[in-house]
Amino acid sequence: MQWKLFADLAETAGTRTVSLDADCDTVGDALDTLLSSRPALEARVLDDDGDVRDHINVLRNGENVFTGEGLDTPVDADDELALFPPVSGG
Amino acid sequence: MSDLSLDATQLDRYSRHIIMDEVGPEGQKKLLDGRVLVVGAGGLGAPVIQYLAAAGVGTIGVADNDVVERSNLQRQVIHADADVGVPKVESAANFVTRLNPDVTVEQHHLRVGPDNVESLVADYDVVVDASDNFQTRYVVNDACRLAEIPVAHGAIYKFEGQATTLVPGGPCYRCLFPEAPEPGTVPDCATTGVLGVLPGTLGCIQATEAVKLLIDAGEPLAGKLLFYDAMEMSFETVPYRQNPDCPVCGDDPISSVDEVEYTGGCAVRAD
Repeated sequence: MQWKLFADLAETAGTRTVSLDADCDTVGDALDTLLSSRPALEARVLDDDGDVRDHINVLRNGENVFTGEGLDTPVDADDELALFPPVSGG
Repeated sequence: MSDLSLDATQLDRYSRHIIMDEVGPEGQKKLLDGRVLVVGAGGLGAPVIQYLAAAGVGTIGVADNDVVERSNLQRQVIHADADVGVPKVESAANFVTRLNPDVTVEQHHLRVGPDNVESLVADYDVVVDASDNFQTRYVVNDACRLAEIPVAHGAIYKFEGQATTLVPGGPCYRCLFPEAPEPGTVPDCATTGVLGVLPGTLGCIQATEAVKLLIDAGEPLAGKLLFYDAMEMSFETVPYRQNPDCPVCGDDPISSVDEVEYTGGCAVRAD
């Protein structure tokens, strides 16, 4: 599966896409794997309690996971996952 | 056509609209009778004002408290070198006057905030959010939803843009992003830079949405967030839903923007 990162999240991570080879069962597993080796991104995405910040959306194949099972949403090897924040420039 | 009171000059000026069934003289009359508020006369607002004025939107309100700076001119295409130091609302009005005498510009030289937003938006059919900060974006979303005024939203970051249209009955901006990032979390254009043509693309999408809303044609970009990536030259659309717990458009909504603290995360007070 692959993570796609938008706006300042991509800059914080230093890349727009991250392919995961790890065995992940859920979106939460895939998020942990993404963030585990990227402390700056982890600090940007998670709040002090370890929850995904309110303004960051997590998508699985174009669907917001928080309208369904959240981070417990199961993932398949060919899924595309995405993290996007709002932007404010005008 | 004469009963729709378009004069000969207007029939000529808007002939490429009028000839199409989807617009026609009726649609053009709706545009001429339409009232659109553009919040922000910067990178996004410039092409929005340009195309709405060209289309013959009869009244365009422009709200902005800035003056034109030279560093704006790389992207804010309605302002010119000679306008440096002039209020953007005035420069915008001068641009529109030259472009189309059918259009009246209402200049609101102010920063849109909780104290003035409700009376400001009340007079308009459609609001275009072309602002450059989260506080204004949340205050515009909240006030427009409470007043049931549709909003064509657009926002940019370096080489990327986001657009969505917030229509009464559909999800609002808070359904997508419940609270703003804390100030300083997401850097602004002055800090990061922005590709000059980027707001041109996004602003044209917002102007398109505003025109569709005025003539009641096509499908608005409601419940969908459009991502544009200039570097990849890609567009992606992601659906989003109304949040029943949304404090502005959910089951138990606030009654006024007075219930929101428009600092930090722009959170609705939990009382």
